[in-house]
Amino acid sequence: MNDALDVVLRLVAVLVVFLVFPLLVGQTEHKVMAHMQGRLGPMYAGGFHGWAQLVADGVKFAQKEDIVPADADRRVFQLAPAVALLPYLLVLIAIPVGPRGFVGETVDAGLIFVLAVMGIGVLGSLMAGWASANKFSLLGGLRTAAQLMAYELPMLLAAASVAMAAGTLSLPGIVAGYHWWWTLWQLVGGLVFFTAGLAELQRPPFDMPVADSEIIFGAYTEYTGLRFALFLLAEYAGIVVLCALTTVLFLGGWHGPWSGSAGWVWTLLKTAVLAFVVIWLRVSYPRLREDQLQKLAWTVLIPLALAQIALTGVVKVVTS
Amino acid sequence: MNVAAAHPGFLSPTGVEITFVLVGLATLGAAVLTVTTRQLVHAALWLVVALGGLAVEYLLLTAEFIAWVQVLIYVGSVVVLLLFGLMLTKAPIGRSPDADSENRPVALAVAVVAAAALVWVVVDAFRTTWINLHGAVQGSSRATGESLFRHWVLPFEALSVLLLAALVGAIVLSRRETAEPAQTAEPAQTTGSAGAARPGGGTGTGPTRAAGAAGKERD
Amino acid sequence: MAPSVGIPGSGLAKGLAVTLRTMTRRSVTAQYPDAQPDLPPRSRGVIALFEENCTVCMLCARECPDWCIYIDSHKETAPPAAPGGRERSRNVLDRFAIDFSLCLYCGICIEVCPFDALFWSPEFEYAETDILDLTHERDKLREWMWTVPPPPALDPAAEEPKELAAARKAAEKAAREAGPGPGPAAAGPDSPGGAGA
Repeated sequence: MNDALDVVLRLVAVLVVFLVFPLLVGQTEHKVMAHMQGRLGPMYAGGFHGWAQLVADGVKFAQKEDIVPADADRRVFQLAPAVALLPYLLVLIAIPVGPRGFVGETVDAGLIFVLAVMGIGVLGSLMAGWASANKFSLLGGLRTAAQLMAYELPMLLAAASVAMAAGTLSLPGIVAGYHWWWTLWQLVGGLVFFTAGLAELQRPPFDMPVADSEIIFGAYTEYTGLRFALFLLAEYAGIVVLCALTTVLFLGGWHGPWSGSAGWVWTLLKTAVLAFVVIWLRVSYPRLREDQLQKLAWTVLIPLALAQIALTGVVKVVTS
Repeated sequence: MNVAAAHPGFLSPTGVEITFVLVGLATLGAAVLTVTTRQLVHAALWLVVALGGLAVEYLLLTAEFIAWVQVLIYVGSVVVLLLFGLMLTKAPIGRSPDADSENRPVALAVAVVAAAALVWVVVDAFRTTWINLHGAVQGSSRATGESLFRHWVLPFEALSVLLLAALVGAIVLSRRETAEPAQTAEPAQTTGSAGAARPGGGTGTGPTRAAGAAGKERD
Repeated sequence: MAPSVGIPGSGLAKGLAVTLRTMTRRSVTAQYPDAQPDLPPRSRGVIALFEENCTVCMLCARECPDWCIYIDSHKETAPPAAPGGRERSRNVLDRFAIDFSLCLYCGICIEVCPFDALFWSPEFEYAETDILDLTHERDKLREWMWTVPPPPALDPAAEEPKELAAARKAAEKAAREAGPGPGPAAAGPDSPGGAGA
């Protein structure tokens, strides 16, 4: 009975994190982006510096009519947002926050699990792009697929490098095996992982699939109301997941001063800093063109990731 | 392989076994729908369900690592590639009128024979083998890795050579016999293993040929 | 590809530095409804009427490019100043209205007014929900007169304004003549200057 209660409590905690953290990132993006552009951002909703802006947005989305285009493939169209969103919820379960079992559920092959499930989320975009019966959506879907196929590989290779270094696929195991010099050792792999992750989330400067000045909003063009909000939530949940994963794999998760008592603070802090970097990159760089995207993946990231694996192997053999 | 000593028998099934059968039925249903639906993209999506069901079966058999690799490779990459290809075709939203190759009897026969062979082999091999769910996990990544690289190294290496051959073959197919524009050569260089020297010197014959080569690559 | 800049990626770093620096500075957003804007003194907000100066010469109405100034008046006669003299007549303003839905804020009426009866006011919050309500009558135009700021001070070494020069000369002349009592020296030049109040 106690075990069941424990599991339920953990799942509820993960659900709360899943619903709250993306909103925090979204609000931070509103404000940070505004100030980086010399603006103030939302100031009214909620009274104090517009803290409730996203809550107000949510209310607005809920009031809007849910439209399915006449020629669309109804069921696929309606199912797509859920397929895009749910994988990130599953991934959050496996991400360790602190030492001594501070994790939703320990998964033995956690690294593979996380990367596999994150890949499913893209199916949602593809379904949306195809089922909307809209040329812009279809183009967005095509670009999404091309981008995913190009960037999945360097991401996997970079993650494999960390798994080699730690000698385990379990995420808590990887963090437990971490030493401070790993960050330097795996620096290239970390950069490749983070960049490829950004591309997989379709965040600027890799937002070719939703390029609003060219194809309106890519695969999400025909969506309104709550379903559209779910896609947006998926994007921000993706940021949280990517930043948490980068923290766990490359920045040592809960390691830091006083990690015994306040390890989870370190994890959250590192994740927050990475989320800030995600926003920062969005404000600073223009969108990459499709051929530049593919070229970056195939001619820069994959060779770098392979070199990182070679380096990891050499160091591992030498030190063991 | 460590297996349960006692034979629990086929009667009085446990919850896991019931779940296994139900998921198996769902997987079978999805697989049948994949080959019978007239809507191309729906077929791809039913394929996702079938492959996902298979991953759940692996999980129930405690082969966790295999399950997640199944999701990563098949659901995450193969189906995405499939959908990408379908989007490049003129597949309509509704039913495709010409989606029937009229090979149904032959396909059915082949499927039944293949299924019978597989079932027979599996039943014959594992008839009395029962997985002990309460003992040590047998499908963990450590166990899988050890058996793969201790006992099954040779098949593993043979497979990787096969994949390498496929890779080289793909590159050779996507190359043109004569002079080639520089653009299409770049992916070949990065994959590295090709190593085949390009017949150099040609000036390329313009964008139409490059587009043709790229199109071929996608096929 | 990058033109002759040393370290690869320095351009990327520069981009990040620019945005980060901007974030640490105060934003330039004007929070208008909460904080009134600090408008420059010659802002062209609305046209105010100093109706005491108006002589109904109709120049403004005639010069207006789209005829958005409406003026009605009647003539009044005053008894002669000295017995046996001619009766004096003057125009009395009945209506002065500007239709701000037509006005294009060119300011020609203000330029042509020979008696300094029209002024620019920086007041800008006079939006209406009905376009007909944008035709403002003389009382409203007169009220806006109170929002007209005094003209900015002259540059330190600037030439003396014509009105002041004329007034000073008149005063000096009066002082020189000294004898013939209180002259009309103080009458003329004050009135235009008084508009600024």
